[in-house]
Amino acid sequence: MVHIGPWSNYPPPRHLLQSGIVPPNVAIVDDEEPVRKALKRLLVASGFEVESYASGKEFLATNHQPPDCVVLDLHMPGMSGLQVLEELRASHRQLPTVVITAYDDRRGAGAVSRCRCERLPAQAAGRAGALNSISASMAQARSPTPKR
Amino acid sequence: MVALGYYLAARVGFAFTLQPHPISTLWPPNAMLLAVLLLAPTRAWWWLLAAALPGHLLAELQSGVPAAMVLGWYLSNCCEALIGASLMRAFAPAPFRLDSLRNVGVFLACGALAAPLLSSFIDAALVRLIGWGEAATGTWCRTRVYSNTLAALTVAPLILTWSNVDLSQLRRVRVARAAEAAALFIGLLAVSFVVFGLPAVNANAMPALFYAPLPFLLWAAVRLGPAGTASALAAMAVMTIWGGVHGLGPFSGQPPEETAREMQLFLSAVAVPMLLLAVVLDQGARVERDAFEQRQQLTHLSRVATLGELSGGIAHELNQPLTAILSNAQAARQFIANKTGDPALLAEILEDIIVADQRASEVIRRLHAMFKRGETQFEKLDVNVIVQDVLGIVQGDLVTRSVAVVAQLGAGLPQVYGDRVELQQVVLNLVMNACEAMAATASEERRVTISTATVAGAVQITVSDRGSGFTSDQHARLFEPFYTTKPRGLGLGLSISRAIVLTHGGRVWCAPRAGGGRPSISRCRPKNDRDR
Repeated sequence: MVHIGPWSNYPPPRHLLQSGIVPPNVAIVDDEEPVRKALKRLLVASGFEVESYASGKEFLATNHQPPDCVVLDLHMPGMSGLQVLEELRASHRQLPTVVITAYDDRRGAGAVSRCRCERLPAQAAGRAGALNSISASMAQARSPTPKR
Repeated sequence: MVALGYYLAARVGFAFTLQPHPISTLWPPNAMLLAVLLLAPTRAWWWLLAAALPGHLLAELQSGVPAAMVLGWYLSNCCEALIGASLMRAFAPAPFRLDSLRNVGVFLACGALAAPLLSSFIDAALVRLIGWGEAATGTWCRTRVYSNTLAALTVAPLILTWSNVDLSQLRRVRVARAAEAAALFIGLLAVSFVVFGLPAVNANAMPALFYAPLPFLLWAAVRLGPAGTASALAAMAVMTIWGGVHGLGPFSGQPPEETAREMQLFLSAVAVPMLLLAVVLDQGARVERDAFEQRQQLTHLSRVATLGELSGGIAHELNQPLTAILSNAQAARQFIANKTGDPALLAEILEDIIVADQRASEVIRRLHAMFKRGETQFEKLDVNVIVQDVLGIVQGDLVTRSVAVVAQLGAGLPQVYGDRVELQQVVLNLVMNACEAMAATASEERRVTISTATVAGAVQITVSDRGSGFTSDQHARLFEPFYTTKPRGLGLGLSISRAIVLTHGGRVWCAPRAGGGRPSISRCRPKNDRDR
């Protein structure tokens, strides 16, 4: 898949489609159905291909083409977002990730930075916040410094 | 106002005078003056005494007594109020209240005994000096002491206790209570009238009749507090003396001095124990009320502290719907801007926004009730709804702690009679304890089970966890206040929970389970079987 970026200026879908650019693929992992649905709508409206998953287990179990970016809720029952990150790291499938932190939570901040994620506090999860974080995480993933 | 009060009190005093005897059976002005001084700050005393002078002059000059004697009486009456008030102020803090046994003792010793006694000597000396009247000094003193003591026992407590009553609260008195007070006073007046207000059949025949008003006075002492008792005593005194003055009732048919003295002794002997009884009972009730109030405050504080610990999870619970609302709204805007938003999709988005908003307000509603410090309100409740509300509050925190929750809610449970918020607090405490007990448990193993069921006609809520359980010492001390196994715990949660369950007529206990499990079981019994 070819990325043409940066995406920080949110090209509208019509322009994307006309220009023949393949839209970036985003996976949403969130246990809360209303939030999952709403984020999916927002990202679709902003021109992304979106797959959504109700739990970390479901996401990891799906045998899919790796998404260009994962939007991951940390606060989930069963397998938490942090566990998903650790799992991805352990299996060398590290992906550009935006983690949705539930509130001003310092727990797991270390793990989040280890995995080179963008943090998106839930209260800032509006369009600008989400899109900025997604493009930042993808830009970071493309940068040559650390190993993938 | 003081002058008017003094004047009216003096008129009452004249009305209660047995002619031709110059001293009234009950002389209220002095007692009224005493009560007014006790309620006022000391620096205002001189003004208040001066204000009584016009009332005194107006009342006394109508009675044809020489002016010198009128002024002399003014002096001795003021002396009496001053002596009583100063002595009492020395022994009890201002403003004086008839609300403790000690204060009543001070009042009886200083206001009702010492003040009339000491001022009577002054009075007698003035009478002798001015040369008015012909009674012997001893008799004069004695009659005046009796009269003023009785007034101090009936009039002063009336003013002192009623000044202590919050009139705005009086307006909110329940109908049943007002009806009770009315029945009491009607009964007391009727009995007093029969005993003291009808012509005497035979003066010495029925001493038992004197005891007829006693049940009503005891009733007042037990149920209506000091103010009600003082009012009942005053009402009975008025009836008795009115009968005596008009030659009616068991005290009549003797020389006026005898009649007056017997009435005074009788009424004083009744008033003292009744006042003491009323104040002692009131004191006990107040201590109980204070303890109840403190327990309520502690319960509320503990609840708020628990909610504080949950703040992170609660913020999450509130952020979820807010995130959904924001993302949905912005998605809709974007769809419209892209011209890809068909009406069906937009309607669906709006519907989701509405649902998310309702969820946010539900979170706030649940929390508001828990944070609020309200009166305990008993109502019929569905235990399952209580459990679900609590789970709604703790859900966010449970996820953070990686604790899974299993709710096994029984169907067709009888309703329980209780306070919603307090029962929620109990369940919340038990769930939080269960979570904290599993801090050392592997995260996949952490599970809280809440079940509700009917056991022997009572509703039982069981909260069990997979923690390490207790030692027998911990188990024995579990519900003690300030006993905690947590590093930062206060040790109040379970003791408060137990107090709440006890006031609901239930019991709470902990059953250790073989295999290390630790169910804390709270069981609440419905108040009556009709609720089923």
